[in-house]
Amino acid sequence: MGDESYKFHKEHLWFKAEGDTGMIGITDYAQQQLGDIVYVDLPDEGDEIKKDESLGEVESAKTLSDLIAPVSGEVIEVNNNAVDDPSIINKDPMGEGWLLKVKLSNPSELDDLLSEEDYKKLAK
Amino acid sequence: MPKYDVAIIGGGPGGYVAAIRGAQMGGKICVIEKEEVGGTCLNWGCIPTKALIASTSVLRYIKEAQNYGINIKGDVEADFPAIMERKNKVVATLVYGIKAIFKSYDIDLIKGTGSFLAPHRLKVTLAEGSHEEIEAEKVLIATGSVPAVIPAFPIDGKKIISSDEAVTMKEVPNSILIIGAGAIGCEFAFILHELGCQVTMVEMLAHAVPLEDIDTSRTMDRELKKRKIKLYCGIKVQHVKEDADGMMLATLESGEQIKAEKVLVSIGRVFDVKGLDLDNIKVAQGKRGEILVNDRLETNVPGIYAIGDVIGGIMLAHVASKEGIVAVENALGGNKKIDYRVVPATIFTNPEIGSVGLKEREAREQGFDIRIGMFPYRALGKSHTMGEIVGQAKIIADAKTDKILGVHIVGAHATDLVHEGAIAIQHGITAQQLGDTIHSHPTLSEVLMEAAHDVHQIAIDMPKKT
Repeated sequence: MGDESYKFHKEHLWFKAEGDTGMIGITDYAQQQLGDIVYVDLPDEGDEIKKDESLGEVESAKTLSDLIAPVSGEVIEVNNNAVDDPSIINKDPMGEGWLLKVKLSNPSELDDLLSEEDYKKLAK
Repeated sequence: MPKYDVAIIGGGPGGYVAAIRGAQMGGKICVIEKEEVGGTCLNWGCIPTKALIASTSVLRYIKEAQNYGINIKGDVEADFPAIMERKNKVVATLVYGIKAIFKSYDIDLIKGTGSFLAPHRLKVTLAEGSHEEIEAEKVLIATGSVPAVIPAFPIDGKKIISSDEAVTMKEVPNSILIIGAGAIGCEFAFILHELGCQVTMVEMLAHAVPLEDIDTSRTMDRELKKRKIKLYCGIKVQHVKEDADGMMLATLESGEQIKAEKVLVSIGRVFDVKGLDLDNIKVAQGKRGEILVNDRLETNVPGIYAIGDVIGGIMLAHVASKEGIVAVENALGGNKKIDYRVVPATIFTNPEIGSVGLKEREAREQGFDIRIGMFPYRALGKSHTMGEIVGQAKIIADAKTDKILGVHIVGAHATDLVHEGAIAIQHGITAQQLGDTIHSHPTLSEVLMEAAHDVHQIAIDMPKKT
C-alpha cells in the first residue's frame, strides 16, 4: 500500500480514481474481518450506485454484510473474476480483487474520503 | 346400485385421507378417481419433485465433494432417464401403499370420472367409457386443481409446458424460461439448474417466492443470482412465440426478449370442477369458479361437502388432508370446524424455505406491535460442519404478550425445522419460552432458539449489537 491514489470510506471500501472514473473494492482490514468470502453480490453494469448506500452484499463464512458505496456513479465494469472466485478478494483485496469500475457522478465526493493513514486509525 | 355412506370424488391428499378417516369411523366409503390415488400431490407435484430433488442433491454433493475433502476420480454424469425412473418408482411405491391401506379398510376405489345426477346419486364414467351409478348418503368433492393457463402463453405440452410435463420430461433442455417464481417455479429452477440447464425466470411481483416473508424472498433472490439464474422481477411476459430456429422467444412488457429452448409456465393453479355437472345439484360457486363451503366444509347443498384446492383457500396438500378429516367427520355426524390459523408451508429449493404464521408485513397490517428476532445459519456450529451456512431464521413476536406470531426460516432443513414454530404458534408459546427450552447442540434447531433469544436482543453466538 502507500499508494496515495487510494482513498477510503469508513465503511471499509476503497476508491482509486482514474480521471472521472475509478475502481472500488474492499479494504484488507475488511477482508480480514470477514474471513473466507464465499459470495459477492454486485450491481450490474449500467446501474447507479449512491455514496453511503448499499451497493451490494458480501457473504463470508462468518457474516453477510452490506457493501457501502464510497462514491456515487454509474457502474461501467464488474470484476466477474471476483464474482466467480471470491477467494481473489481475500488474496488481493486492493488489486486483483477489485469489485467495480464506476464513472463518478459527483467527483467532489472524493473530498469526503479518508487518506490511508486516517482510515488505518479507524480500522484497528 | 352400490350404496355408500360417503362417496369421495377425487383421491388426492384431500380425498384419500378423508376416505381413511371415514372408514376408521365405520363409514362405508368409496373414492372415485380418474387417474391414480394420491392425486396431483403424489403423482405430479409434491412427491415427484422431491424425488428429483433427492437426485440433484446427490449430484450437488458430488460436485462440491472437494470442499469436504473427497476427490472424485473419473466422470460424474446425471443419467436423466434413470433419475426419472427412480422418481416413478417412488411414486408407484406410495400409490401402492395407499391402495393397500384402502383395501385394509374396505374402501372401494372406483377408477373413473364422477359427476352428479342428483345430490345423492353419482354417475361414474369408467376409463373404458361405460357408466356406473352409485348412491351416497354424503358426497365429498375433492377434485383439486390444474395448472393455470393464460392465452399469452398457451401450454402445448412440448415447448410451452406446465409442471405436469416438467415432471415427465424425457431430457433436460439446454435452456428454459420459467414464468412465475413462486414455489413451483423456484423448485424447478433449482432442479434444472443442477442438471446443467440454463434457467431464466420472470416474476410479476417484486421478488422470488414473493408471498413469503420479505427476508426469505431476499435470500432467495440472492441464491438464484449466485447460481447465475437471471430473475426478472416486477414485470410480465407479454407473449411467447416460436422463433425461426425452433427456440422459444418471450417478449417482456419492456420489449426485452428472452430466448430459451422451453418455457415452463408456473403461474399458479386453478380449480378443477370440469365434468362434475355441478348444475345438476346447484352447488354455489364463487367468482373464480371455486366451490363455496361453510366452516364445516359443507356446501349450500345439504350433505355435499368440498375440500382441498377446489374450495380455493390455501392450496396445499396438507391443508386438503386436514379439510378431508374435518369434512368426513362432519359427514358422518360430527360437528367440527376447520381452523386455518396455523398452516406451515414449505418450499424445497436450495436453501429450503419453511414458514408458518404471520409474515412481517401481515403482522404490521393487522396492527400488531411486533418484535423481530433473526439468527443466521452461519453463526451455528452445525451449519459449518455441514457446509450449509446460507440462510436465517426469523421469529416475529407480539411485543405486548411476547407470543410468537410468525416463524420464517430459509436454510438447510428449514422444511422440517419450521414445525417447531407451528407448535409454538398453535399453543401460544412466547419467544422467551421457546428460547428457554434447551435445544441439543450441535443441531440446526439452535437457529430457532437463538432467533427466539434475539427477539429480546440476547442471542448468544452473535456479537453485541451496536
